[in-house]
Amino acid sequence: MRLNKSITAVLLAILALLPAAAALAHHSFAVYFDDSKIISVRGEVTEFQFRNPHGLIRLTVRDAGGAEQLWKSETNSPSILERRGWTKDSLKYGEEIIVEGWPARDGSHYLRMRKVSRADGTPVGVPFEQAEQK
Amino acid sequence: MSVLNAMRLRRALLAAVLLCAGAGPAMAAKAPHPDLSGFWMLSRARPIEDPVLAAKIAPGTVVLQDTGPVEYGSMNFGGLKLKPAALERAKHWNIKEDMTVANACRIPSIVYALQGPFPIEIFQGTEFTVMKLEYFDMVRVLFTDGRGHLPANGPHSKTGDSIAHWEGDTLVVDTTHLKEATITNNGLSHSDNVHVIERFRLSTDKRQLLATQEFEDPEVLDNRGARFITWDRVEGDHVHAYDCDPSFAENYAG
Repeated sequence: MRLNKSITAVLLAILALLPAAAALAHHSFAVYFDDSKIISVRGEVTEFQFRNPHGLIRLTVRDAGGAEQLWKSETNSPSILERRGWTKDSLKYGEEIIVEGWPARDGSHYLRMRKVSRADGTPVGVPFEQAEQK
Repeated sequence: MSVLNAMRLRRALLAAVLLCAGAGPAMAAKAPHPDLSGFWMLSRARPIEDPVLAAKIAPGTVVLQDTGPVEYGSMNFGGLKLKPAALERAKHWNIKEDMTVANACRIPSIVYALQGPFPIEIFQGTEFTVMKLEYFDMVRVLFTDGRGHLPANGPHSKTGDSIAHWEGDTLVVDTTHLKEATITNNGLSHSDNVHVIERFRLSTDKRQLLATQEFEDPEVLDNRGARFITWDRVEGDHVHAYDCDPSFAENYAG
């Protein structure tokens, strides 16, 4: 696996998240994910699944010590994402992205996507906050 | 055939076509009721607690606050009072066991599905109305032709048996024959004998579809539950195919 850029994982605690921002889930978001925290993971895409009930992004992330970690990020239903400008080709293998979302309660390297940005900060599709204001 | 006979035949055919079409969605504009037809996206704002609909909710009913993306966490059922057996089942519910290939595409019933963050599309007719839910490709037929429910031993499904009538500007839908399925997506399921009453009406500007969903299930609950649900009209869009792929659950395995 080629990793030519430094990759970091950053944990952010964000209080008072709007409940409406938390889910768009079909299986139980509230039970599986911790909606009191947001984490941000930066890494390279190794797989992008775009299918219902949820899409999935697999990432290779390098921790502070340089060791590789494998992360998975579950997305909203693709039928919802399509209306936000996503397609099955929105993410490419090897592309560096930043995924922001809610962590799994069990501490595994699994999160629920809230927002995805490319390495230069450009959002993929219409970020949730913008769509909310339409 | 003379010209006169040909004209008579044409008129008769036209009358027959109009008569047939009147039974289906195509004649919605001529119906004496508000036309609920259209594509409706679940509102991102909190659902409107329309006073006309609120007044129809039976006394003692608890109104759940989980419409749309919001969901209750473990052992929180929004004020629903569970029978002991249902409470015991909920205590032992494990989401990881739920996310298996066998279960990932298990269809909820309309009790949970209708309030989810997915659009619906309505095709209103005079004798029946069709409601398509994007969620799990569900299709409901709401009969307004005066028929009664199926016999008690009739087939059960996730969309159930729905008969409907108009009360003023409100379409009232009565549904039975639903298969057991989740209510709150966290371990609480209704039984095959749940009874659901839904009311649908348009907002004054016709840009929103306002609804309540009430349910009672004495096998599982000691009280009744209800939800307010609001959709926003969106022009030019349609329900997409959902095509649930159960292999998604493999992502939970490793």
